[in-house]
Amino acid sequence: MGVASRYWQFVRLNAAGRCITEEIIQAREFFRQQFAELASQVEVQDSFIQRQLLQLLRGTSEDSRLGASSRSLAERCLRCFISSQIQQVCIRLEAQFGREHGFTRYDLLPFVLDNVSVTGARGIDRSQSSSYQFLATEILQTFDPDQSGLAAWTTRLVRHCRELNACLLEHGVYLVSDWAILNDTNLRQLQRIFSEFHQLTILEMQDACTLLECYHAVYRHDRLGQRQAKSKKACQQPTMTQLNRIAHCFHNNTTQELSPEDVLARLQDLAKCLRQYRISVRRRSPPTESLDAPEICSQASGIQSINPLDGSNEPDNQTEFLRLYRQQFIHCLDQAIEQVQRVRLSYLHRRDPQQAQRFIPALRLYYCQGKSMGQIAPLVGLRAQYQVTRLLRLRDFRADIRQRMLERLRGCILDIAKDYVHPDRLQSLDNQVEVALDEQINAAIADVEATATGDGPRNSLFTQQLCRHLLQTTNAQGQG
Amino acid sequence: MTSDLRHSTDVPLDFAALPAEAIALEPNQIDQAVQLSHPIRREAQQWQTYLNALALFGFEQWLSERAAELPINREHCSVLQPQYANVMEVVCNLRVGEFNLCLVAIGSLSDQTIDLPRAVVDLPEFTAHFYVVLEILEEQEQAKVWGFLRHDQLISLRQSVNLPAERDWTYALPAAWFDYNPDHLLLHLRCLEPAAIPLPQAPTNRLATLAAMQAELMALLPRLQSPDAQLWQVLTWEQGAAVLTSPELLDWLYQLQTKDAPSLIRRSTDVLQLLTQPAMNLGRWLQDELDEIAQSLSWVLLPSLPTATTPLRSPGEEIDVILTQLGRTGMAIPSQARGGYKDLSLAEAPLRLYIVTWPHLSPENVPEWTLLLILGAQSGHNLPHGTRLRVSDQTDVLLERVLEQNVNDSHLYARVAGTWDEKFLVTLGLDSGPALTLPPFTFHPN
Repeated sequence: MGVASRYWQFVRLNAAGRCITEEIIQAREFFRQQFAELASQVEVQDSFIQRQLLQLLRGTSEDSRLGASSRSLAERCLRCFISSQIQQVCIRLEAQFGREHGFTRYDLLPFVLDNVSVTGARGIDRSQSSSYQFLATEILQTFDPDQSGLAAWTTRLVRHCRELNACLLEHGVYLVSDWAILNDTNLRQLQRIFSEFHQLTILEMQDACTLLECYHAVYRHDRLGQRQAKSKKACQQPTMTQLNRIAHCFHNNTTQELSPEDVLARLQDLAKCLRQYRISVRRRSPPTESLDAPEICSQASGIQSINPLDGSNEPDNQTEFLRLYRQQFIHCLDQAIEQVQRVRLSYLHRRDPQQAQRFIPALRLYYCQGKSMGQIAPLVGLRAQYQVTRLLRLRDFRADIRQRMLERLRGCILDIAKDYVHPDRLQSLDNQVEVALDEQINAAIADVEATATGDGPRNSLFTQQLCRHLLQTTNAQGQG
Repeated sequence: MTSDLRHSTDVPLDFAALPAEAIALEPNQIDQAVQLSHPIRREAQQWQTYLNALALFGFEQWLSERAAELPINREHCSVLQPQYANVMEVVCNLRVGEFNLCLVAIGSLSDQTIDLPRAVVDLPEFTAHFYVVLEILEEQEQAKVWGFLRHDQLISLRQSVNLPAERDWTYALPAAWFDYNPDHLLLHLRCLEPAAIPLPQAPTNRLATLAAMQAELMALLPRLQSPDAQLWQVLTWEQGAAVLTSPELLDWLYQLQTKDAPSLIRRSTDVLQLLTQPAMNLGRWLQDELDEIAQSLSWVLLPSLPTATTPLRSPGEEIDVILTQLGRTGMAIPSQARGGYKDLSLAEAPLRLYIVTWPHLSPENVPEWTLLLILGAQSGHNLPHGTRLRVSDQTDVLLERVLEQNVNDSHLYARVAGTWDEKFLVTLGLDSGPALTLPPFTFHPN
């Protein structure tokens, strides 16, 4: 069920790049006239309406004058619907990723909401490219109500828009294309997934396997060739030639004749089933923890030991650990911070000197001044929070410090050295150090918060040591 | 496909954020991966090799960023050796410090099952301390360490649920068995003693096993000539294990599947013979000794070669005459050379094969040995026309001599040289009729 007004409200971008929703009166009147019994309802049966409108658009009417005008009006209704659906997709993308990855719907809309007129006429600024086809026009021309609803079809085509994907990838958000999914699925997986997840007959299964095998033989083979020619990053829809080769291979193996269009449709169906499976698996997997904001950091101590029977990381043990080994702990922490920071910096220098220059300031802003990643981004010349996340990789940073500490602790505490020959005991030792470090970090955050409000003493071990190193590094860089 | 799916209005967008710990793959790494996949003929294996190589490069990069102090040794890494890349679906035998690692490349499907080849679990030659899974986003040119599993955990989990190997020689492991925190892997690599995860030792009787199944393998191996044929489709697991643990056979298989050479089929016999038959050590001749094999086959050691006063028609004199003739043609036989002979019959033709052998240094000062073969008839007979003398090593037929119809030579000569770890296989034959292959010859004076 959908909202009736979507069929007469046209969403477009104005010259300033803002969304404007126009009510198309002719479309509204036409809609009310065609669906008199529905127009008063708020929610309407989309699939019925879309089928009717499409029939009016594509069908032939005896009265050519009337036919022409109802064709054009039906088209406007459908175009209104498409425009609002395109907007919806961009809003959803913004809601899902926008804040963390530094974009809004207005960064995305120009790529997909390119239709400035409800009639589908070209805007002035687009006229330079005669082969250019508006996305909405493509959606309308390829829409088949027997295959999907118009909303789903629109979402599908928007999702696969090349420019949109390129823009999102720049912001660290990606879509695995249908073709990459098919590339990444082997016959064993296909059989397993189709027998467990989608119920297929044996014959359907065999055909699906043969088709996938033929697709691989053509498409993956060509892709390696393209890679060799150092071109084509994203996987494009198979060309007509490729589809014909796949059809030929399929014919050789099954004696069934498929048109290239059939091949394409079947491959897309295959990819759709696999994507469904992928989505369901990803929904089930636990969300990865985030260290993006300092306040979340304090809750991030729970890295589960793979051996739940191992009871040595009880809270009592943790405090005990810190009490027993405090002296060595400080000493090793000191050295570990110095080492990890140096190694990371030299790695960044090799990979990207600009990133290397940002690293220490960003680390200081985070640990010594308690700024969030979002706040840090503009201060070090980055666009978005996720870029700071990728620059600092704090989880890695802390894990490395912890493990360097362990390396050193082995040398200076003979008692615990014996734990290094049991993987589970070693892991639980790592957990203990992690918790001990967390205590330090949590204390540090409490300090920072205190500092932000008043001027509490900054007496946390971890922060003290880290900030001391950071200051030294900064000074050294200033002199160097 | 269900119709409600087709008409659902709210399609999941399925976009995902690149994780902070993703490793960006460099263009030159992608280029190299394509190169490595290039020689592999079976399409699925070729693509897998490409992903495997990306997994290797991604993993190395990750390690160099996180733990640059850990030494990586790729010397035995399977993906860099085409004869292994040809049959292994994963990257095995990558050394990091004292640990052996197996890298498993998965794509963007997010499967709940990780397929591990049986070979890397059940064959000590390929087992690893850690099985590391990398997610390769080929399209986005990104890699990510997805998870890992220790060998000891793998074995105990497999036993606890009684997980059998699949028909195609894989174990389908539940994704939940893996530890998703790559930091734990780093922890182990940095701090753990390798002895903490004991790995099984390879049995010492691999060759004997191979010898025992020589006949069956010879019948089956030619069926692997089509690049699309996979080992599990043709061989039993026991046979497969014997092939997989024989580097020479894998090498031969790779040649067979990638090179268009019908002679390779015939060569399967040679390769198996060289591998499995006990070799005759000609080096012992330098100490005037025959080894056990030579004795059992009735070889006769000749007295030192340059002698003058032996009875007429004795073998010693015949060889002297031959060597003197050879000396005139420019072949220098050094004084430390030793010789021997064996009488044999081929399709009722009484033949005599002389061998003369000696050690020497190559121009690069590498110790080498020479095998000189002289095939003639026993006294009172003629060498039949059409007699063949073939010498081969593991990789190829080195030379083949034939006595042509209108030639009246009394002998066929063949001379090859190799390093001290090289073996040669000598086969005699007539135009028609069966060939006779002698035990492989080696040269170890001490």
